[in-house]
Amino acid sequence: MNKSKLNRSLLTDSISYLYLTILAVIAAFPLLWIILSAVKEKGEMITNPTALFPKKLTLDNFRVVIEQLHFGSNMLNSVIVAGCTTIVSVIIAALGAYGVVRFFPRFGKVMTRVLITTYMFPPILLAVPYSILVGKAGLVNSRIGLVITYLSFSVPYAIWLLVGFFKTVPLEMEEAAYVDGANRLQVFIQIVMPIVTPGVIAVAIYTFINAWNEFLYSLILINSSNKMTVGVILKSLEGQEVMDWGVMMAASAMVVIPSVIFFMLIQKKIAGGLAAGSIK
Amino acid sequence: MNKHKKLLSKITAFSFVLPAILVVGLLLLYPVASSIFYSFTSKNLIKTTYKFVGLKNYIKVLSDSTFISSFRTSLKWTIFSLIGQVVVGFTAALALEHIRRGKGFYRTILIIPWAFPSIVIAMSWKWILNGVYGFVPIALVKLGIFSEIPQFFTTKEFVFATLLFINIWFGAPLIMVNVLSALQTIPKDQYEAARIDGATSLQQFRYITLPHISVVVGLLVVLRTIWVFNNFDLIYLITGGGPANLTQTVPIYAYNVGWGQKQLGVASAVTVLLLVFLLVICAIYFRILNKLEKEGPQ
Repeated sequence: MNKSKLNRSLLTDSISYLYLTILAVIAAFPLLWIILSAVKEKGEMITNPTALFPKKLTLDNFRVVIEQLHFGSNMLNSVIVAGCTTIVSVIIAALGAYGVVRFFPRFGKVMTRVLITTYMFPPILLAVPYSILVGKAGLVNSRIGLVITYLSFSVPYAIWLLVGFFKTVPLEMEEAAYVDGANRLQVFIQIVMPIVTPGVIAVAIYTFINAWNEFLYSLILINSSNKMTVGVILKSLEGQEVMDWGVMMAASAMVVIPSVIFFMLIQKKIAGGLAAGSIK
Repeated sequence: MNKHKKLLSKITAFSFVLPAILVVGLLLLYPVASSIFYSFTSKNLIKTTYKFVGLKNYIKVLSDSTFISSFRTSLKWTIFSLIGQVVVGFTAALALEHIRRGKGFYRTILIIPWAFPSIVIAMSWKWILNGVYGFVPIALVKLGIFSEIPQFFTTKEFVFATLLFINIWFGAPLIMVNVLSALQTIPKDQYEAARIDGATSLQQFRYITLPHISVVVGLLVVLRTIWVFNNFDLIYLITGGGPANLTQTVPIYAYNVGWGQKQLGVASAVTVLLLVFLLVICAIYFRILNKLEKEGPQ
């Protein structure tokens, strides 16, 4: 009895490890291949496409990306747009999430419904009025216009995630501060925010990554290459006649590596928050 | 005085939520309303004047065979992607729960795809599966599985499956992480008690695990269905809807009409139809979910 149980757990163990190892290889391979292709010499990529590791390391591809394509300025555009989106959305969402949790708890369920409904709005549906409205406001080709449209997806999602964190704040601490004569804004900034800071940082990073990864609005609202974000400039690079995959992979590496690192830091918090903020 | 104070406190409470309400109102509800309005007009991307055309845009769209086929592609794309993502994400989460060593390591590696921007998803897979110098096609030829280099993005037998594979690769980690965190909320003593009562692992899974996580997973499936159905970037960046419109989903059709043919009015009609369809599907989904929630624990 005991022995067969042991055998069985050994079997399920090895199946689990085998399965996870296969998945891990598939999950990690593109990142690995981006990096390896970026540091390979052009000749080697063509003569031996299946060689995993490069015979000779080179940074030529990165040099082309930075010096000839001026990719740095596009990276900077993306950082500015994603950074501004993050700051503005987190402030709006933190105030809103706290306000609903503390002052309008009865609207919690209505709010969840509204947020889910807005999540249903297809980005391509919003793209039509955005291109018209942003044009009217004279904000075509401007980073401000892009930041404003990014709020449409970042604010609702940040509220959703933050509600879960604000619910964990004990009411007694706030009440004590009110007794001491603090007003609501003071209580919010001095008592509540410090408690939820880890959650807010996780949400901020998540918002940043989502804004950094956005493509459609940027495609529609920006058309001069010096204002383009990384996604759109890489797409336009692909359209050129001679496509240099080494250069493309070097640029891709610069875009994806920060994303992956930040993601690994916050993934646990985000998953918990999604479940906690959702229905209850 | 007291009344005055009460009013003031109401105002400060309201000012907390006001910015968020403005965002939802001005950036989401108003644009959707204006899209509905434009869908009844001849709005053009470049021309400034437009006129009211009634239901003409809708009739035009619904009688266009390309729209019908992109709608069908959208359905296929959503259903198969979701099934694949849930199966892979769910089994990966269970396997991760099962093992004792290396949990953190596997988990960290397995979430990598989730962090990929769509442009990098597209470029990396296009390079890996490239029909001239791609790692996988050439390796497959070297292994003798194919006699000539397979063209994953241009052959009509392969292209849809290739897209599905990439979307499952990208979406499974999100399901996995969320299932994993839902699994952690199950009290361990329930399994203990079941084991003492002689329940098999399959029974434990059916009567303890599933009911506990069904609500979270249900909601997750709703959200991912919406996301995949609405997704524009992935297919646009990988195939652009080709070859021969074979992978053209409704969002890409709308983009081609609106920005390719400059007919924003018609594009609005397409996207409004998309939204209506989603609203109906989600209403049905939430009915089922509410039922589950009532039957489940808590």
